[in-house]
Amino acid sequence: MPTLETEILVIGGGATGAGVAWDAALRGFQVILVEKRDLTHGTTGRYHGLVHSGGRYVVKDPKSAAECIHENRILRRTHAHCIEDTGGFFVVTPEEAESDYPDRFQAACDEIGIPCTEIPVAEALRREPLLNPRISRVFEVPDASADSFLATHATVQAARMAGARILIYHQVEALLVDESNGQRRVQGAQVRDMVSGELVTIRADMTINAAGAWAGQIAALAGAEVRIIPGKGTMVAMNHRLVNTVINRCKMPSDGDIIVPIHTIVAIGTTDEKVADPENLRIEPWEVQLMLEEGEKLVPGISRARVLRAWAGVRPLYQENFTGQDSRDVTRSLALLDHPSRDGIQGFLTITGGKWTTFRMMAEKAVDRACQHLGVERPCRTADTPVPGAEQGHYWLGHRLHEIEEARLQGELVCECELVTRAMLEDAARNNPTVTLDDLRRDVRLGMGPCQGGFCTYRAVGILHELAAENRTAPVTPESPQEEIANSPWEVAYLQSPGRHVRTGSPQEVLESKVLGPASPVTDPRTPVSNPNLLLRDFLQERWKGVVPVLWGRQLKQERLDELIYLGVMNADHLPDEELASPLTDFYLFDTTPGETSPGTTPSGQEKEASA
Amino acid sequence: MHTISWHSVELTLDECIKCNICTSYCPVAEVTDLFAGPKYSGPQAQRFRENGQPHSPDHSVDYCSGCRVCNDVCPTGVRIAEINAKARAQMVAEHGIPLRNRLLGRNELLGKAGSFAPHLANLALHNPVSRVLAEKVVGIAREAPLPRWSTEGTFSAWMKRTRHRRLRSDKKVVYFHGCATQYYEPFIGQAAVMVLEQNGYEVLVPPQNCCGLPMLSNGEFDAAERYHRGNVARLAGFGLAGYPIVGTSTSCTLTLKEEAPELLDKEDPGSQALKQATWDIFEWLRELHAEGQLSTDFRPLSPDEERLVLPYHAPCQYRAHRIGKPALEILSLIPGLDLRESHARCCGIAGTYGYKAEKYPVAMDVGRELFDFVAAQSGAEITACDSETCRWQLEHGTHLPSRHPIEFLAAAYGRYDLERRRAVE
Amino acid sequence: MTQLIVIGAGLTGLMAAHTAAQAGLQVRIIAKGMGANHWHAGTVDVLGYHPRDSRQPVRRPLESRDVLVAEQPGHPYARVSPEEMQAGLEAFTRLAQEAGLPHRGSDEPGRNLLLPSPVGAARPAFLAPEAQLAGELGRDEPMLIVGFQGLRDFYPQLVAENLGKQGVTARAAFLPLSLVTRERDRNHVQLAKLLDEPERVAGLGRALRGLVKPGERVGLPAILGFQRHREVLASLVEQVGAPIFEIPTLPPSVPGIRLHTALARRLEALGVRIETGMEVLGFHGEDGRVLWVETETAARPLKHRAERFLLATGGVLGGGFQSDHTGRIWEGIFHLPLTLPQERSRWFRPRFLDPAGQPVFQGGVPVNGNFQPVDPASGQPVFANLWAAGNTLAHADPIHERSLEGVAIVTGVAAVKAMVGDRAPANS
Repeated sequence: MPTLETEILVIGGGATGAGVAWDAALRGFQVILVEKRDLTHGTTGRYHGLVHSGGRYVVKDPKSAAECIHENRILRRTHAHCIEDTGGFFVVTPEEAESDYPDRFQAACDEIGIPCTEIPVAEALRREPLLNPRISRVFEVPDASADSFLATHATVQAARMAGARILIYHQVEALLVDESNGQRRVQGAQVRDMVSGELVTIRADMTINAAGAWAGQIAALAGAEVRIIPGKGTMVAMNHRLVNTVINRCKMPSDGDIIVPIHTIVAIGTTDEKVADPENLRIEPWEVQLMLEEGEKLVPGISRARVLRAWAGVRPLYQENFTGQDSRDVTRSLALLDHPSRDGIQGFLTITGGKWTTFRMMAEKAVDRACQHLGVERPCRTADTPVPGAEQGHYWLGHRLHEIEEARLQGELVCECELVTRAMLEDAARNNPTVTLDDLRRDVRLGMGPCQGGFCTYRAVGILHELAAENRTAPVTPESPQEEIANSPWEVAYLQSPGRHVRTGSPQEVLESKVLGPASPVTDPRTPVSNPNLLLRDFLQERWKGVVPVLWGRQLKQERLDELIYLGVMNADHLPDEELASPLTDFYLFDTTPGETSPGTTPSGQEKEASA
Repeated sequence: MHTISWHSVELTLDECIKCNICTSYCPVAEVTDLFAGPKYSGPQAQRFRENGQPHSPDHSVDYCSGCRVCNDVCPTGVRIAEINAKARAQMVAEHGIPLRNRLLGRNELLGKAGSFAPHLANLALHNPVSRVLAEKVVGIAREAPLPRWSTEGTFSAWMKRTRHRRLRSDKKVVYFHGCATQYYEPFIGQAAVMVLEQNGYEVLVPPQNCCGLPMLSNGEFDAAERYHRGNVARLAGFGLAGYPIVGTSTSCTLTLKEEAPELLDKEDPGSQALKQATWDIFEWLRELHAEGQLSTDFRPLSPDEERLVLPYHAPCQYRAHRIGKPALEILSLIPGLDLRESHARCCGIAGTYGYKAEKYPVAMDVGRELFDFVAAQSGAEITACDSETCRWQLEHGTHLPSRHPIEFLAAAYGRYDLERRRAVE
Repeated sequence: MTQLIVIGAGLTGLMAAHTAAQAGLQVRIIAKGMGANHWHAGTVDVLGYHPRDSRQPVRRPLESRDVLVAEQPGHPYARVSPEEMQAGLEAFTRLAQEAGLPHRGSDEPGRNLLLPSPVGAARPAFLAPEAQLAGELGRDEPMLIVGFQGLRDFYPQLVAENLGKQGVTARAAFLPLSLVTRERDRNHVQLAKLLDEPERVAGLGRALRGLVKPGERVGLPAILGFQRHREVLASLVEQVGAPIFEIPTLPPSVPGIRLHTALARRLEALGVRIETGMEVLGFHGEDGRVLWVETETAARPLKHRAERFLLATGGVLGGGFQSDHTGRIWEGIFHLPLTLPQERSRWFRPRFLDPAGQPVFQGGVPVNGNFQPVDPASGQPVFANLWAAGNTLAHADPIHERSLEGVAIVTGVAAVKAMVGDRAPANS
């Protein structure tokens, strides 16, 4: 069994874990990060993308709001290219016309220092013509939206450049707990490589649990009780940008009261359901219905527009000694659990709660505490250290299209909906560890547009298969799967820029024909990407999982075309290698066991208590 | 900045299922790499455009000719050509409009200017030196088929001159002549008047101005809006009073019906009244025929007993009217006419597209399908098409004369001289 | 007055209009746009998998039809006798022949072909255009699958590897796309049109000759010519000296568009007008008869009067059915009753590739033995002069059971025969 040694072991490859690894590595620690799936596979990759100004929590949870505006300012510098500067509106809809909330909101913003300007309704309607014309007041705040996949990748690249090692698809099976000297001490973890099945031991001086909604499960491995309150939020993505500004309702945060423009879509969010299991990402029909009904109050007509997809993420909410019923009431502030003082367990910290917006601050607090325990004094540097790629400045909606046009790459598009070129896909697959096509989706937005993989799944499988065939003849074979993953270049600064992935000379200029020998399967057990049939099935199923909750109207028609392609033309349900499964094959199944089906059922009530 | 509403054509991008039928039929994408096809430039690119963006992300959409083959074949109803037109307007709003496009857009002004001294104007424009200059200086293709000013006065002047001969009747119809008939081809209007009068209708020609289409297709939306407002002010009342407004220019009638209100997001009652009252002349005659009211007192068009071979090309605007091919249906009533229906997608000219130096070769490549079709019809010595610019392009590409179907119809009534292109009264 | 208006220009509409024209009716087709022919493989799939046991492909669809009909008495195939089914398919074969695009079946009459899909799966089809026949997987010659470098819709190594796993000897090769075009952005239809030019075919032939080994057959993406497709294919076979076949791939389907174009031209030559860009918005009925349908235009609804109407708008994909987020699903023109649960939670199964298919796609318009839409309660026709055919019909999922074209052809022909009374009394 391979054994690795490090000073700090970070568990969790979401925004927080990546931030901790980055922060710790910048302070000169040896760092290893382990993540059981792909980076951002958990909550980070399943949120609506809002970079909070703090406005949303300014009345209810001012501590969290202050954290948000502080970090909002920093992230615009350190992660500039991952952020679109959409700005945000808080609008007073007719439902709240009589409320005193707007005045309290404005006062609270002033108090905390969130820039907040009331603008004329006509001005807001000019900028956002589809907004409800019956709104009575509009406040403008510095909300923004972020690509949380790219931001985490960029953070991880920065961490790697500072020396951190990142092991994805490595799941913690046990913590190494030493109980000698009458003292409990976590000394690292035993992790399983989910691809090869191999066990790896990682010894560490300090283990930082940044497993988010899974943090309770990790803490339990050390014998500590951490009662994460997993609050599931469901979001509905519309097919295109109906608004270009973040739209919030100016009231106490609740379900379906925010619309976030992110890349080519807008997301309506969210519900907040207390669930028992963070893997429970099931979307109930009433949740979709509720998002659309609430969305109507902000953008009348939205429920008749095309819905692209729905997804859910589980918030890692935490409040020591919380006894309430509604996860809405749990603080959004970050929580650093100091297990040495809290539970008498040395060498172990848990950082949880918080928002995506505050991930850097969470990391800072966690590593500050780690320094204390390790008896060193090293200042945090992340706030002044832009991650690679930040020099590009904020992204704007048209940037991909613009680069495609400038470099005339129209013929190179693999995912036509999201404008992913062949070279982008190849570079992402070459440079990033890739187990499923879903991993590439997070890298380059493959399959995230209207057809939901209808055309690009086949193309991506074919391209990866060609790459794998080339690699088969490549001379260098890494020592172990961990090495292979760790040694990938992971160049992500320009991951999403078509213009940065241009091959010299178009394929049309190639004049030589290429003859290949008899086909022998390109199957290397250590690189599952080499089985095209598994990749194809997994990705089709992964896309299916997220569209089923919203299949009607135009998206149902789209799905039927996708069926015609994969059943009628491809016969993909009768391909060889049916027995193969990836680490995520089961995860992609859509749970259709009957749940709450009646739309309009209030989310509070018995169901909720039962799951609490 | 043009605003959007739920009725805006841009929002039809939601209908797209990415199936590629449009791109497979697009005549422009087929002949040039400069245009990546309707799916790409329309519903796909539209997801990357927004109000108030730093700059238009894309420019290849300018190579869309607006022929609307895409709209016609789309199984789900995406208004692709209109999405493209709006994207072009956004580019114009940012970069300003080139002098050349401004000139091409000012059909009416040019027409009027040349009409003061048509001989001189024709001489000035139609000589090799000026055409080379026009290409070099403003970018108007030197080979492209520019019209000639009428040397016998405008259509309005003819109406005035012949007012004592015009039919008076309780049944009245308004005629929208458009700029081409007014300044270049008044005889088309004469043929229309002959046909309408043959059917017992008095023809009213109230003051009117350019429909604004040339400006719309060059992205000059503000100017187009002024023209459209003018026509609403002058004509909507006739519509409200129950008079049909018929036109011989398929592009003008389309603009009054749909292009102007839709691209300019006009939902006012005047625009709607004008829209409801406007008909393509053959669309209206087809209704008349369906009610048994159309005079079918036709005489054969060829003097000898031979059948007249007539290749007919329905202009792209008919596709946008979405009324089928009414001219074909009516012409087929004329005895002795051997109609040959073209299935060519587009003649290439697409309004003002083929006049632009950089697009002229594309337009000629697009038109090849039609020119080859005509060449393959043995015995054909003349062609028919409802749209003026398409006819000029057809003549340019086939070297055969081309006529408006209304000319054939008027001739079949014995009230028009097809050879000399003038009313017979 | 028009005697029959067919709504929909897919294979169902074309076959129905052809049958009507042959019966002497004056017939017009109106359609919103182009349909499923443009997406599918250009083959005629009659029954590829039995809906209840979809593991093994159906060997003899006309025989399996009897089993299917016994199990699913509402299936569209249950509305026709085996002889009518045969006759419908023969009518298609004749029409395709006349249109210049002959289709044939297996050398062993009545058997499904097994043809390579663009991922290298074996797809069952009953009839295929000439250009696909040499791909029959039951034949012995080893395969050379040839792709073009940079072509995004065809991956020869993938095809060869998967065929290899299924016991078919296959190897792969790439040719430079510059043999066909130097342009950077070309889809398959455009490439096919470029290959109408003989000098390009000659270049491709030379290149292929250098690749192929004696005894091999050659598979290429389906781009071998458009208008001159048959000449292109014949010329390549002659130059290369080996059997050559096309593999249809992602939409747009070149074989499908060739078929549509050829059939449409043939119908027009027979006097059938086909008008696209016409979306039917509604209808007017009186005394149990449809008097006219109305299409959307740039200004005002356009009335289309006819003595009879045939609904061939397809199902969810064809645009025949609309649905919304409340779980309502309806037929969009005549608001005909559908055999579908109005409840979204019952529309789907957990897997995209579920062997049983998705329930939402199995419902449709219920008809009587004469293909007239009926009120399920009374069993009586909804309108005396309305018929329906093809994928609008209830009790089949043609994409799942691979009967897309079979159902279209057989019911399109039979519905018109029922309409004109040229048919033995319906058995169900």
